[in-house]
Amino acid sequence: MADARPTIFVVDDDASVRDAISNLLESVGLRAKVFDSTEAFWKAPRPSAPSCLVLDVRLPGVGGLEFQEQLAKANVSIPVIFITAHGDVPMTSRAMKAGAIEFLMKPFQKEDLLAAVRQGLDRDRIRRDEQAEIAVLQARVDQLTSREREVMDLVVTGLINKEIGAQLGLSEVTVKAHRSHVMQKMEASSLAELVRMSDKLKPRERR
Amino acid sequence: MQSSARTGGTTRSLIRHCGIALFFLVAAFVPTLLLQRLFPYPFLFLFFGAVMASAWFGGKAAGLLAVVLSTVLVDYFFVPPFYSFSISTTAEAYFAAFVASALVASWISSAKKKSEEALKDALDQLEVRVSERTAELMKTQTELAHLSQVLSMGELTASIAHEINQPLTAVVTHGHACSEWLSANPPNLEKAQQTVQRIIQDGTRAGAVLARIRSLFKKEAPAKDWLDINEVIHELTTFLRDDAIRRRIAIRTDLVPGLPKVTADRVQLQQVVLNLMMNGMDAMAETSDRSKELLISARGDESELVVRVEDSGMGLDAEANEKIFDPFFTTKPHGIGMGLSISRSIIEAHEGRLWASPRPSGGAIFQFTLPVHPRDSNG
Ligand SMILES: Nc1ncnc2c1ncn2[C@@H]1O[C@H](COP(=O)(O)OP(=O)(O)O)[C@@H](O)[C@H]1O
Ligand SMILES: [Mg+2]
Repeated sequence: MADARPTIFVVDDDASVRDAISNLLESVGLRAKVFDSTEAFWKAPRPSAPSCLVLDVRLPGVGGLEFQEQLAKANVSIPVIFITAHGDVPMTSRAMKAGAIEFLMKPFQKEDLLAAVRQGLDRDRIRRDEQAEIAVLQARVDQLTSREREVMDLVVTGLINKEIGAQLGLSEVTVKAHRSHVMQKMEASSLAELVRMSDKLKPRERR
Repeated sequence: MQSSARTGGTTRSLIRHCGIALFFLVAAFVPTLLLQRLFPYPFLFLFFGAVMASAWFGGKAAGLLAVVLSTVLVDYFFVPPFYSFSISTTAEAYFAAFVASALVASWISSAKKKSEEALKDALDQLEVRVSERTAELMKTQTELAHLSQVLSMGELTASIAHEINQPLTAVVTHGHACSEWLSANPPNLEKAQQTVQRIIQDGTRAGAVLARIRSLFKKEAPAKDWLDINEVIHELTTFLRDDAIRRRIAIRTDLVPGLPKVTADRVQLQQVVLNLMMNGMDAMAETSDRSKELLISARGDESELVVRVEDSGMGLDAEANEKIFDPFFTTKPHGIGMGLSISRSIIEAHEGRLWASPRPSGGAIFQFTLPVHPRDSNG
């Protein structure tokens, strides 16, 4: 987390194109890292700062579209902006369906590239924030005892203490005590907040 | 092979024959003489060997010479009475048998040699023919390769577009960056200066790509082939026939037999005619109110040839008439716009002219001239 400046990765096999893109990004105060192949990018370390990938479609070795699939398979979620000299419609729609931010035709205008890059960085930032938040919540959940976790699962469904006690075979007083421990450990100030936290955690817990 | 006319040659070959015959006879004589010491009866088989070898290496004449000489030697040394030319009656039959066998051996050997030489000649000739045919085939193949290169313009377009688009993208992107560096507060002149250098480099690179393409189309020095324009046209109509049928276009030719031949680069001329024909066919893609017809005609006199390619397509508007010869001018979605520009430079390199005009009944006429040089006629 030492280096939180956003980074834009640029992969293009043409040296003059990648230099030009990095020059443009630099001129508006963004930091770029360039690579001549997807393989080189794949091997390079990726920082924990928000980032996005400007990717040429036609590359020697693993091409842009193929690489996008590879990233998805490996669960690497970095926003991708495609650049290409000859975009045909099927290619474009394939890339967009797979979640690309933009599909830019070379030569592209500054505004289009920068808008796409900013959108990509934003998307990555939001995703990273969410992930960080989930990590924090997960750490809190891990502190709960299994009984407390059971209580929490029922609390967030909207049941009152009495009903929870009936379901778990506990007295209302015991449920109340568990409940206040849950609120404390989860650092939730209200029932509504606890529900929201549990919603965020849900997709994780299912796995 | 055997020169019988020149006397010098005959003398020399006579000496050669004698030499060969003598050589083998001595080679047979010495061992036979030695054997004579050891065995009481004459050993003559080595003489057969000498006769056959002489006939083989020296031909029929050397063979016969060897027969005569060995007869003399055998008579003198090895037929009783020894060391005399007289022959005892008991040895007569034996001696006659030797002479006859030696003759037969000489004849067989020289005949065998002759047939073997004939066979070798035939093989040599065959080899020459095969290599001639191979060379011809290879020539046709390279011509075809060149032709198909011209035909797959679509693919070429894609790769050219890519090659030029890369430096172009770099130039545009650096341009944007440069304006950012300049509008910063304070302006970053150093970066702007660096960026301008890059722009110059990339612009130069784009120019180099174009130069390379141009040289790809225009071979350095046009080869001077001696060619019949009718033949060129005929080849191309055959070549495009399937394509034309698929596109419901009738290709007609109007050629006059016996037009003067011209010196020109065959492949380049093929390119020109092919470009014009393909353009004509393209121009008729949308034609529906009249029949789609491509007419190629050639006329000529003692000073020049005129080749016309006419179509019944959409025609040319007056404004486009000159622009169409500009490099990269195209109205086709996947066009490259180099066809006419290249064709014109090829024709001009051949000291001819290429121009376009509207066809009165609708469509376009493209025609070019090629000079006929009188001195060509002895090529
Ligand atoms: N026979 C024709 N009829 C009408 N227009 C033509 C004809 N031939 C050429 N043109 C025009 O000239 C342009 C340039 O032709 P050319 O240099 O061969 O390039 P391309 O065929 O790639 O477009 C064409 O795009 C077309 O607009
Ligand atoms: Mg053309």
